[in-house]
Amino acid sequence: MAKDRSQRDDYAAPLRRLLTGVVCLCLLALFLIWRIDSPRVERFRAQVIDAVVPSMDWAMIPVEGAINLFRDFQSYQRLAEQNRELRSELRQMSAWKEAALQLEQENARLLDLNNVRLDPRLTYVTGVVMADSGSPFRQSVILNVGARDGVRDGWAAMDGIGLVGRISGTGQNTSRVILLTDASSAVPAMIQPSGQSTLVAGDNSPAPVIDFLENPDLVRPGDRVVTSGDGQVFPAGLLIGQVTQDRFGRLRVRLSADYERLEFLRVLRHHGSEVIRDPGGLIVPAPGTGTIPRPRPEGLGADTGDGTEPAETEDG
Amino acid sequence: MASTSPARIWVMRAAFPALSLLVIFLHLLPLSTLPSRWAPPDVMMALVMAWAVRRPDFVPTLSIAFTFLMADLLFQRPPGLIALLVVLGASFLKSQVHPHRETAFLGEWVSVGIVIVAITLSNRLILAVLSVEQPSLGLILIQMVATLAVYPLIVLISESLLGVQKLSPAEAEALGSR
Repeated sequence: MAKDRSQRDDYAAPLRRLLTGVVCLCLLALFLIWRIDSPRVERFRAQVIDAVVPSMDWAMIPVEGAINLFRDFQSYQRLAEQNRELRSELRQMSAWKEAALQLEQENARLLDLNNVRLDPRLTYVTGVVMADSGSPFRQSVILNVGARDGVRDGWAAMDGIGLVGRISGTGQNTSRVILLTDASSAVPAMIQPSGQSTLVAGDNSPAPVIDFLENPDLVRPGDRVVTSGDGQVFPAGLLIGQVTQDRFGRLRVRLSADYERLEFLRVLRHHGSEVIRDPGGLIVPAPGTGTIPRPRPEGLGADTGDGTEPAETEDG
Repeated sequence: MASTSPARIWVMRAAFPALSLLVIFLHLLPLSTLPSRWAPPDVMMALVMAWAVRRPDFVPTLSIAFTFLMADLLFQRPPGLIALLVVLGASFLKSQVHPHRETAFLGEWVSVGIVIVAITLSNRLILAVLSVEQPSLGLILIQMVATLAVYPLIVLISESLLGVQKLSPAEAEALGSR
């Protein structure tokens, strides 16, 4: 029997080693292909996610609901305390509400005066967050809207208030949003009121860093950060957050979007803003349409002074 | 004898991808989208190591490769690299196992620890050589230490609840002769 077994091992072991080698080669090849031709493999990844994640949805919703229920239950223990806090907050809020109403009226009046027209092409499609990245090293979420809904790579995703991230990778029914907090995210932005352009770069912390700032002295904590629309990445003027300073004195952005609870995200349809390419293209019509200044009369070159164009000859 | 029957082996072979899918599913739940300061342990890696030491026949190479490739794709890791390293690490552990000898748990823990550290470091090194963007070293070290710390717990659960135990010499003989 022992001899029998050793004979079995004789051909089983090399076979197994061969299989391991082949598998390793395949995996290595996949990794190298990803390194060389990343978009193709990322498309494949989007397709895999598209196939797998929606099928988990039926289980995800109840489990997530149960966990949230448990968390809420924990918070019921502090109910009385919370109630008191809420009341005092409510009092403050009613004062703010009054201020907001006045500002809203003023704003409407000013918009009317200026005859401002908001960009009519900036429509959006709203998606539900299905899953997050699942890894502590990556900050992204998966939405339940995809190529089927016309979502394309590079569009901006917002929650009700502020920018959340950028679409990167779309499947047929799902799409991935790289959050602003992800280490690979960098968004051209503008700080108001000083009007300086900067780059809001994520670094895997809750508050992204303000990078490439020309003059940090002009920026104060509390200033608003909005997208600048540079580089055609996002439409201009989307709210990102407010400037804060961390312990080490670095300028960061406190994001306006509620990252604690991303549930519904708006994906803004952005078809690129119009670009003015050649200077003066707006003012002067295209050449050859008859408004080119006439060439100087030939007689002027010799400066004979025959009196046909008195204004010119007097100068010369 | 029951733990060597073909039905049992195939059930446990299916159990590994199923458990891994459960772990992936729990990771993907969108409970918190804030970046966290710590990293949870890599339960899948601890699981595959514990099983490879105990019952290599429950975690065939193909199953490991497929499961970790799936995890790579879903977790947005560079596809294939972690899978490749885990396959190599697991086959190294399988080859180290003396099927009939009862080893002390401490020794096993040390050898698994060496493999996990090697996987983590070589992953980091390969990504650095190919200049792929990487997360901060602190988080990765936290995850590595957490994985090592959670390993005895995984072993305990595998042995008591799932019945993944080393074969006695008689059982190994029976399995081998079939």
